[in-house]
Amino acid sequence: MSLTFLVPLFLLGLAGIVIPVVLHLTRRRRRNVVLFPSLVFLRKVPFQEQSRRRVEHWLLLALRALALGLLAVAFARPLFQNGSVAAAGGSGPREVVVLLDQSYSMGVGDAFARAVAAAGHVFDGLGPLDRASLVTFSRGARVLVRSTTDPTRLRSALDTVRVGSGVTRFGPALKVAETILEESRLPSGDVVLISDFQKNGWTGNEDVHLPAGAKLTPVDVAGTLDENVQVADVTLARQALSGRERVTPTARIVRQGGRGPRQVPVTLELEGQTVQTRTVPVPADGAASVTFAPFTLSLPHTRGAVSVPDDGLAADDARYFVASPGSAIPVSVLEGSRTGRNASLYLREALDISPDDRFTVRVRRSDEVRGEDLSGAAVLVLNDTRLDGASAQRVSRFVEAGGGVLVVLGQEASWPASAADILPGTVGGVQDPAEGQGGRLGFLDHDSPIFEVFARPRSGDFTAARFFRARAFQPADSARVLARYDDGTPALVEGYRGKGTVLVWTSTLDQFWNDLALQPVFLPFVQRMLEYLSGRGQVVPWLTAGQVLNLADPKALESAGLSSPKEAGLEPGVVPIVLSPSGSVVPLPKEGPRYLTLEDRGFYTVRPEGVEPTRPFVIAVNVDLSESKLEHLDPAELAARVTAPAGAVRAPPSGNAAELRREDLEKRQSAWRYLLYAAFGLLLLDTALSNWMSRRRKVPGPVVSRS
Amino acid sequence: MAALTPQRAVRPGARFLDPAVLARIDNLELLARTVVDGFLAGLHRSPYLGFSLDFAEHRQYMPGDDIRRIDWRLFARTDRHYIKLFEAETNANFVVLLDVSRSMDYTSHAVTKLDYARYLTAALCFFSRRQRDRVGLVTFDDAIVDYVPPSMKHMDTVLHVLDGIEAGRAGSLAEPLLQITELTGRKGIVVVVSDFYADTDTVFRSVALLKARGHDVIVFHVLDPAELAFPFQDASGFEDMETGEQIPVIPERLRDEYLRLLRTHTTELEERFAGSRIDYRLLDTSQPLDLALFAYLAARQRLSRTR
Repeated sequence: MSLTFLVPLFLLGLAGIVIPVVLHLTRRRRRNVVLFPSLVFLRKVPFQEQSRRRVEHWLLLALRALALGLLAVAFARPLFQNGSVAAAGGSGPREVVVLLDQSYSMGVGDAFARAVAAAGHVFDGLGPLDRASLVTFSRGARVLVRSTTDPTRLRSALDTVRVGSGVTRFGPALKVAETILEESRLPSGDVVLISDFQKNGWTGNEDVHLPAGAKLTPVDVAGTLDENVQVADVTLARQALSGRERVTPTARIVRQGGRGPRQVPVTLELEGQTVQTRTVPVPADGAASVTFAPFTLSLPHTRGAVSVPDDGLAADDARYFVASPGSAIPVSVLEGSRTGRNASLYLREALDISPDDRFTVRVRRSDEVRGEDLSGAAVLVLNDTRLDGASAQRVSRFVEAGGGVLVVLGQEASWPASAADILPGTVGGVQDPAEGQGGRLGFLDHDSPIFEVFARPRSGDFTAARFFRARAFQPADSARVLARYDDGTPALVEGYRGKGTVLVWTSTLDQFWNDLALQPVFLPFVQRMLEYLSGRGQVVPWLTAGQVLNLADPKALESAGLSSPKEAGLEPGVVPIVLSPSGSVVPLPKEGPRYLTLEDRGFYTVRPEGVEPTRPFVIAVNVDLSESKLEHLDPAELAARVTAPAGAVRAPPSGNAAELRREDLEKRQSAWRYLLYAAFGLLLLDTALSNWMSRRRKVPGPVVSRS
Repeated sequence: MAALTPQRAVRPGARFLDPAVLARIDNLELLARTVVDGFLAGLHRSPYLGFSLDFAEHRQYMPGDDIRRIDWRLFARTDRHYIKLFEAETNANFVVLLDVSRSMDYTSHAVTKLDYARYLTAALCFFSRRQRDRVGLVTFDDAIVDYVPPSMKHMDTVLHVLDGIEAGRAGSLAEPLLQITELTGRKGIVVVVSDFYADTDTVFRSVALLKARGHDVIVFHVLDPAELAFPFQDASGFEDMETGEQIPVIPERLRDEYLRLLRTHTTELEERFAGSRIDYRLLDTSQPLDLALFAYLAARQRLSRTR
């Protein structure tokens, strides 16, 4: 073992050892002058000058010199290099990346504790020249410590890791590991993946390839779970009763594993108070529904939760939701007086059967639009009406103020020429798209919010509907055609006026001219269309952990359940603060997009700073239940997919690795720290010792001195 | 033998005599009155009671005596003229010889030696004035600085001079005391107040001159507690206040020897003064003034008995 110094220049400071001696001599020359009445007696006292020049306290002098010497050596940053270190340097230090899964499935049994222990074991086994990083991951990956040789930092960071509420995604974590290894100048890399290896965390398409020479070491800490009961879903059926909303919660309970049916108590909580508990029999590997007694929803941002008793996986044992009254969309339907009876039957039924009473529908049979038709309405449906000029003007003002209008063009529909600019085009006569064979919808604009949900396969088939008649419609230049028949003529045209939107449907909404009303897509199509016209986003009772919400976006807040910005104190311009479910403040940027990542399950509270609003805005966050499916992935298969084939050699690291290693070694040893402690300890001892000596020889009394 | 550390017992009323308290009194007469009144108040409970205006003796009338002092009752019985003498009516000359050399300006606490000596002198003069003595004052360093001849009317002058004295030059005993001896013709009580920084022979010879002239001599040796205990700690250069000379001193090494030499000095002075019937008192400036007054009182009592 040899001792070297990283900054040997500081050893010049050893010359400071002479400082105590110099001080000793200097202090003697600069002694105090004491005025004394007469030196008659002092002159008579025999003394030897030599004795006063002698060093009296060798111990103190040695302590001070040693302390100064230690300080100089400490600043020179000593390091010890021995044979084993040299050998380690020869084989090359490693870049170790520990990927620690913190998805909520790690909460099964003691899986997470074993994972933390495994990570600690990896850190303990680091060589003196090795660098290590700690990355936690669930849906995304977060680098807690990046490429350090300091095991204390790694240990400290490891102590802060907790089980989260996210789902397992190996891709982001492995990407981070790949990046760290590629940036590393060390010759070899080792990725330690500590997880329960949920199968749904790996699709095989992640396109992750660790650098050549890097090794992936999977550490499987999966716990066993014989049975898991979860609250899979909660629906909130709303019903208006005497001007109040009554909400009937229904929970779906899913049981995985187990044997035989089991009685599961299910509890409904509102505002943190237990309201009802129902016991429901749930078969093994089966599901059951439980419907609670309805409750009156009178306050905005009402928090609720449906829960089952804790089991091996606690994260999916509760489902949180937030509900607010008055979230239904008022729709006013004006049915033309010359049309057949029940022309709005299918439309009304489609809106009434929305599970959470999303729409309140008023239907009146008339060709005249009155004030009461528009009062309180978010959407006006003109179902095959012949409007006069006055009615058209009212509709125009309604649209300009932000209302939505759906114009259904049937046999009798007409539009006054004086208000033609309200429509996004010109209405023509009746036409037969396929000459009696029945036309079909040949084009849907899936970029439109109306058809967006139908974009995916098997999510809605519009081609099954046949259209026998339609009104010709010539779209204006500013209009946007959202749907066309297979002959190219417009089926659905969108136009804007003021703050509102006008949609023109060129066929009927009953089965008079088409059979769309008999198709399964009719209901979601109509609901999406009216939701879009209302300008309100779909309000979800909860969000999923891992989702990101822009708090600066009013639409996003409305979608997340903000129904009363005034009572929540979140009027435009207010900078909110967010409290996580654990009660800690989530830091947000003061300006620009204020993205809030919903990481934990429970209720996030959003409120203005320094103000306690009457009804703070609450966001319910639930876990993604896909993580509850404890299907296991073969770690070896994953390792084989991401590591380079055997024999691949990594390019030699660039840079002065030797210097790097010496510096790292010195940092790891931190001998300077102990030398500093020792120096300060010696100085303290010196102080105590000299004080004690001084007290021992001290004779009480005043000292008269001339400075 | 005089103790280097005088008794610290404090009697009732003596708190008014604390030098540190007296230092706050600007008016020297008030100070003296305070000291003496407080002291006398304490005497009522003191075993030293006996000094008063009592009758002392009869003396045969001599031509020149005041005929108003003839004891006519005794004349009636004996048909001879006798003069009635009282102890308090000695009408002696009371002169304080006060050392105002530079070394007297030293202090390690609230009161310098010179201040202490000033208070002491004022108190003694006030005390003597009450006994109808003629009070006088001589201040000296290496020569006589101020001279107030003893007189019944000079109390105010004495206080005025005391009020204005300042420590001046280096001190010397032999020359000034010789001059004073020549100045004071009539026998009386002479109080010498000094720190006596001179060799024992010089001090004794100088003071003994006064005794040889027939004066009743009382010597007060005034020293600061720092001079008596030498409590210094750090190695320092010690500078003579009178000569400016400096010598390096390690107190812990010199302390014992210094104290031994000081003790020898004071002991020799006490013994030699005692041999010449000169009262000697060592005073610590941190101690109340009543100790000095007691010493003076005892001396006066003894003098009155022997008169």
